Amino acid sequence: MKYDITLALADRPGQLVKALEPIAKNGGNIISIVHEREKHVEGFVPVSLVVDFSSKANLKKTIEDLIAIDVVIIKSEEIIETTRVTLILIGKIDLKRLIEAKFENTRISGLEVSTPSSKEACIKLDLEVPTDNVEWVLDQLKRMSKEEDVILISSI
Amino acid sequence: MKTIIVGFGFIGRDLVRVINEKRDIIKKYDQDFKLVGVSNSKGYIYNEEGLDLEKLLKIKALSEYRINYKANGSSLELIQKSNVNLMVEATPTRIQDGEPGLSYIKKALSKGIHVVTPNKGPLVVAFQELSALAKKNNCEFLFEATVAGAVPIFSLVRECLQGDKVKRISGILNGTTNYILSKMHFEETSFELALKEAQERKISEKDPSYDVDGIDAACKVVILANALMNRNAKFEDVERLGIRGITQDAVSLAKRANYAIKLVGTVDKKLEVAPKLVPINHPLCVHGTLNAVHIETDLANEITMIGYGAGKETISAVFNDVLTVLKKAKAAAKDN
Repeated sequence: MKYDITLALADRPGQLVKALEPIAKNGGNIISIVHEREKHVEGFVPVSLVVDFSSKANLKKTIEDLIAIDVVIIKSEEIIETTRVTLILIGKIDLKRLIEAKFENTRISGLEVSTPSSKEACIKLDLEVPTDNVEWVLDQLKRMSKEEDVILISSI
Repeated sequence: MKTIIVGFGFIGRDLVRVINEKRDIIKKYDQDFKLVGVSNSKGYIYNEEGLDLEKLLKIKALSEYRINYKANGSSLELIQKSNVNLMVEATPTRIQDGEPGLSYIKKALSKGIHVVTPNKGPLVVAFQELSALAKKNNCEFLFEATVAGAVPIFSLVRECLQGDKVKRISGILNGTTNYILSKMHFEETSFELALKEAQERKISEKDPSYDVDGIDAACKVVILANALMNRNAKFEDVERLGIRGITQDAVSLAKRANYAIKLVGTVDKKLEVAPKLVPINHPLCVHGTLNAVHIETDLANEITMIGYGAGKETISAVFNDVLTVLKKAKAAAKDN
């Protein structure tokens, strides 16, 4: 699991090494580190890190250890890798149901409705879906389409 | 090697033509190759000394061959009585029970006769059983033409990817539906019009359900799964949706987003035939009556093959299977 962590470090020598120690101790693998010197505010410098932890518990322990040594944490959130999924739906589509389905961490990034030249309505939908959930989300959408007698065309 | 052809329709006749035209290639592997029997549902011709191929090519009905013709003689009888090494089984496909081809293939393999077939029916119904029977009787059982016609997918995996594990297969496996969808994509016609044109051009049957409802593609998915991924899949295992419901609006929406809608067969965790959005720059995005098969393996990664899936090109696959049998028999004779 990758996490986006931003720390506010005192602008003094040795502060970065001190902050990295708990990360290493809890098994964090640092993927990137950006020392944002230009955002220097009242003696503090923001440092943005992308860290890979094997579990959420390791992140939690790291946060506790950082707080214990007085490191200020501005942000710590999981980075969810997403895949863009394009779909076409043909039939009487219940858009409200589709939008209200609210699959976790999935968002609709594009919607195009055709000017119908046939009886059947047709929409193209672009979704940003967590990469690990693509199959599950597609299965749910397939199930919904079947219930609504709508043809769902997904990308290969 | 003595050979019989069971089924004297389009492929059976075309094979006689190719055997006649390409005698030199056959002789490279077998100096004594002879076509000794041909049968259809009305009777058979059998002559142990070999049939006159020129004469065979001129006749419309087997009865016109006159000598050596047995009216109402069954193909099973021909297989039983003939002392042959190879049978090319080319009867019409019936996917409900695989018959009559299934019985012919079982009979031949049980007698130790090598079998080449372009007939999907028997493979869809009883692939594992037929493979086991061939193995038990030390026979070749080759069926290259059953999937994607002239595209040598089984030969490729058998000969060139011997150490690879096939992980996933997807493909455009039906030329008729690809023709219809290509018409809709490029000429912005409706499904109904594109189908009508396919029927007028004899690309589709009068009853198009076998193609447009994905039945043909589903048969090929079953064969691919069983032959290349060692599954024990049945026709009923394939989730299937055809192309009848595809509207021109859907095709246009896809096109604006740089996709084409194609009927894609997939062998993955699940077996599926369904219309899919294929990016226009993807190797599977072929048009007209072309077929394409995309395989993913552990060592070679991704390979795509493109070619004609039905029609006159299919004979290439059948003839290559015949040559493969001759070549292997020659190698085996050398070893002994």
